[in-house]
Amino acid sequence: MAESLAFEFAPAIAVLPFVSFLVALLAGRYLPKKGAIAGMVATGGSLLLSAWTLFAVHTGHAYQQTLYTWVGGELVDFELTFGILLDPLSTLMLVIVSTIAFLVHMFSLGYMNDDGQTGLPRYYAELGLFTASMLGFVFADNLLMAFMFFELVGLCSYLLIGFWFREAGPPSAAKKAFLVTRFGDYFFLIGVVGVFATFGTSMFGGPGVDDSFVHVAEQALVGEASVNTFGFEPQTWFTILGLLVLGGVMGKSAQFPFHTWLPDAMEGPTPVSALIHAATMVAAGVYLVARMYGFYALSPTALAIIALVGGFTALFAATMAVVKREIKQVLAYSTISQYGYIMLALGGGGYVAGVFHLTTHAFFKALLFLGAGSVIIAMHHNENMWDMGGLKEKMPVTYYAFLSGSLALAGIVPFSGFWSKDEVLYETLVHGLGGSPILLAAYAMGLIAVFFTGFYTVRMVLLTFHGEPRSETAADPEPVRWNVKLPLAVLGVLAAVAGVINLVPVHAVVSAVPEILHDWLYHGPTGLNGEHYHELITNDAFAGYTSGELLGLGETGTLFASAGISLALAVAGSLLALVLYRGPDPAEHTDKLGALKPVLFNNYYQDEYQVWLAEGATVRVARLADRFDRGIIDGLVNFVSSLSLFSGDRLRRVQTGIVTNYAALLTLGLTLLLVAFGVMQGWFV
Amino acid sequence: MIEPAWAATAPALVVAVTALVLFLVDSIDPESNRPALLSGVALVGSLAAMGVALVYLLTGVGESPVSLYGGQLVVDQMTLFFHVIFTSVTTVVVLGSHDYLDSHPYQAEYYILMLLAVTGMAMMAASGSLAVAFVALELASLPSYALVAFMKQNRGSVEAGLKYFLIGALSSAVFVFGISLVYAATGTLLLDGIADQLVEGTALPGVLGVGMLMLIGGFAYKTASAPFHFWAPEAYEGAPAPVSAFISSASKAAGFALAFRVLITAFPVASAGVQNALDWTVVAAVLAVVTMTLGNFAAATQENVKRMLAYSSIGHAGYVLIALASLTGTGDQSLVLGAGMIHLLVYGFMNTGAFLFVALAEYWDVGRTFEEYSGLGTQAPFVSVAMTVFMFSLAGLPIGAGFLSKYYLFAGAVNGGLWWLALVGAVNSALSLFYYSRVVKALWIDEPDEPHTIESYPAALYGAIVVAAVVTVGLLPGLFLFDGVAFDAAAVLFS
Repeated sequence: MAESLAFEFAPAIAVLPFVSFLVALLAGRYLPKKGAIAGMVATGGSLLLSAWTLFAVHTGHAYQQTLYTWVGGELVDFELTFGILLDPLSTLMLVIVSTIAFLVHMFSLGYMNDDGQTGLPRYYAELGLFTASMLGFVFADNLLMAFMFFELVGLCSYLLIGFWFREAGPPSAAKKAFLVTRFGDYFFLIGVVGVFATFGTSMFGGPGVDDSFVHVAEQALVGEASVNTFGFEPQTWFTILGLLVLGGVMGKSAQFPFHTWLPDAMEGPTPVSALIHAATMVAAGVYLVARMYGFYALSPTALAIIALVGGFTALFAATMAVVKREIKQVLAYSTISQYGYIMLALGGGGYVAGVFHLTTHAFFKALLFLGAGSVIIAMHHNENMWDMGGLKEKMPVTYYAFLSGSLALAGIVPFSGFWSKDEVLYETLVHGLGGSPILLAAYAMGLIAVFFTGFYTVRMVLLTFHGEPRSETAADPEPVRWNVKLPLAVLGVLAAVAGVINLVPVHAVVSAVPEILHDWLYHGPTGLNGEHYHELITNDAFAGYTSGELLGLGETGTLFASAGISLALAVAGSLLALVLYRGPDPAEHTDKLGALKPVLFNNYYQDEYQVWLAEGATVRVARLADRFDRGIIDGLVNFVSSLSLFSGDRLRRVQTGIVTNYAALLTLGLTLLLVAFGVMQGWFV
Repeated sequence: MIEPAWAATAPALVVAVTALVLFLVDSIDPESNRPALLSGVALVGSLAAMGVALVYLLTGVGESPVSLYGGQLVVDQMTLFFHVIFTSVTTVVVLGSHDYLDSHPYQAEYYILMLLAVTGMAMMAASGSLAVAFVALELASLPSYALVAFMKQNRGSVEAGLKYFLIGALSSAVFVFGISLVYAATGTLLLDGIADQLVEGTALPGVLGVGMLMLIGGFAYKTASAPFHFWAPEAYEGAPAPVSAFISSASKAAGFALAFRVLITAFPVASAGVQNALDWTVVAAVLAVVTMTLGNFAAATQENVKRMLAYSSIGHAGYVLIALASLTGTGDQSLVLGAGMIHLLVYGFMNTGAFLFVALAEYWDVGRTFEEYSGLGTQAPFVSVAMTVFMFSLAGLPIGAGFLSKYYLFAGAVNGGLWWLALVGAVNSALSLFYYSRVVKALWIDEPDEPHTIESYPAALYGAIVVAAVVTVGLLPGLFLFDGVAFDAAAVLFS
């Protein structure tokens, strides 16, 4: 009873923040905290409801309900609907999103309100709309609905990045984020249409759903169902569809080569960076892969591409983070890199590992961004780490929370990031050893990235908090209040301990220690659980992964060897940074990079070639199209309209104003009709 | 059913009685200068008639047709639907006329003539035989001539009235000649009787065909369709604007009511006689193409707003002719016919509103051309918004119900297999957006050469325009709920 009640209320999870959006938009000016309280109440409510549904799914079953059919009926052979799907994955994500949204609202009180910012109702309205769209995306039960909320999320991101629209940087960054992600979304949209054209449905599945596209695709591969694959082999066609949808994923999750928008997006307010560009919106991309994992698991090619993109992005972004001067830039690149890991896990067949890292990363990255926000408040909005130093004594709560998040990011045992990153690498390794050399290549890149991650993380902590203050503001920072410290403390604890939800290495030794997340994801509804995905991954008809092990170490041995290697690299990176940047007055070492320095500072010239793509190539093509449009299409249209006006003018002259002419024309017209129809009907024969 | 049966004609009776009451008032006190009393009586009468018609329609009085005087009069759901159109247009026009006529003499005559014309239209929609149809047509037409020429001191008004009368006389002659030929071929004037005669075929297909074509000529005259449309631009432009509104909305609807009734009841497409003599759906298709193309093209080059509306009215007759052309017997017939009826209903409001805006402009003396309308948006924003709604709804944009009714029409045509006709309609619709938006542009965007001097804001005329606008917009969602009434009313004709 209680369980079904929780599901009845589930739509309110997204509706509540939407209401707070309306409240802040319409009445925000008159509210005491300009809409912050409304936002906190709404996201708090969403959090409670999400937790309730999580509990309900835990004790009972998953749940799917179609709320509204907006295209359908007897005449159309497919249905477009809005509905909700509550299963272990979506409820977990709901809890994560609403927790962080709630904490970010609270933090915003300190970051925005106490700072005397203007335009706050707009800010809270946009935050509310963002939270609502993200939550709507998470519990969407079909791909089209997911796409629509995906776009809303993108819109809100645009609005929030460009929040300070009177300055030069933010509007430009907002446009960039919007355009780059939109570019990916084109492919996503085509993918959605393709899914409809192929399967006639875009349902993800769940209890009560007979034919989800994931399930039909699986049956089609084993010959139990037939679908229109437009002349391709079914597996090829499903790979194409999967890759099209992946376009949207790579745009949102800032995967190479669509990652360039995310560092620029740091122009937005820091709480926004925490919410959107660390914990939720960027997570939307990889969440979508997890959501339709049963579809990707059918195609080894798609999985390999996901893994490669992920591994490469992880390494690529980590190297750029090494030389950054602004604290938020380091975090931005680390975000890109960490999402690379999640992609690596999903592509490498580690569904649970991917979701695990998604969870821990959401907490520790939100923490790091909020910590950075706290530092930025203290530094009067100076983000340059070389102007900081020595903040450790002045802001202990921020320091220890930030340290907790940093150790998690670097992957130091026993912080949460260690457990999840280790599992990501382990899953990829064993599947790579099982006969997929491509996965091994992706694994190698991910592994090297661990070293860089350790390095840039520790460098960031040392430069920010340790040593002597290197500027006057750093010597006398602005104090922060409870509304900043409380979210930091909560997230600091979570970042430290969130790893307990899946202690795989410990479980391997002491089987009494449960793998909570593993069990949780395995107990989902038919066709949507980890167990089923594992079967798909290992089935030769589909992905066909097999597990291997390191030379004679056995399964457990491989597990510990993998953990040991990654931990060793993380520690090595951290120690190198410690050596280079310790002491009261650390020196810049970037000059030692020689020719690499400008390459890294310019982010491998990624922006440059994309700007060239936009200005050099696209503008030229657009100009050609414009010439065609104006010359030929417009010419045609103009010709038609002048012809119409000309003939209209002639027609007008028939109306002479002389009534005898009218009578004559009328009679003539009638006669013409009589003759024409007389001949046609044969009256005169 | 209703007892006594003659009560089914109550909407027409109420209008006729109101005309007589006005006559009485006027004869008691001919020199009276109490316009509010006269327009008040006319308003109450038309409102009462509309109320009765609505109640009848919604309670389904005409679901099984009421046949009176041996089938001379027939009241069914379609009759009542058209009664609603006539009376609602009349209500709005009477409301708008109050301010327009101002202190003009002979106001009682004005309202009496209008109400008598409505009586005629109501009879047209209820006629069960060709004789009644002819008399009703004349009853609707004769007062209209006088109304067009109502501004006796205005040369344009008198000239327009005379032209209207001459063309009308010619058309009536054609119509009555057509009746005689049909009688010659079938030996009866009753519509049902004609249909019965034609089931087995006809011995005189040529006579019958010419007769039918001439009947169609009569309908074309009343609906201002080609080639009988020549009177329309002149009459609409010369007439007082409320009268233009009345004739172009109500009179056109009456013409179509009669055309629907006669063609569907007396000349079913499927019957052998009609097949031999004349497939009138083809005639309707030809007339539809010619009429809407001619109306829209000519409207595009006008400088005078009222004349533009006159041609647009011709164009809309062409759209409704699509419904007639689509009654080919394939597809859902009641959908097609219902679409035509719905379009006439919506058109009744949006077109009346547009002409009343012209009436308002004439009242203010701002001039007649597009240029002279420029800048009205800032000085009279309220009615300008209403006019914008009318224009866009006439063009078929989804701001008013004109979008939906046009959509039904084209859907009906496609349904009846005439997708090419729907295509022609759509192209014409696109062209019409050009000249309708010229009005909107003049109102809101163009700067006036010299500011208008608007001294007063006539309440009744404003009220009439606002009512028309609200109904035009309100029918957009409203049609989703109530379009069933029209389709059911249309279905009665085919059962």
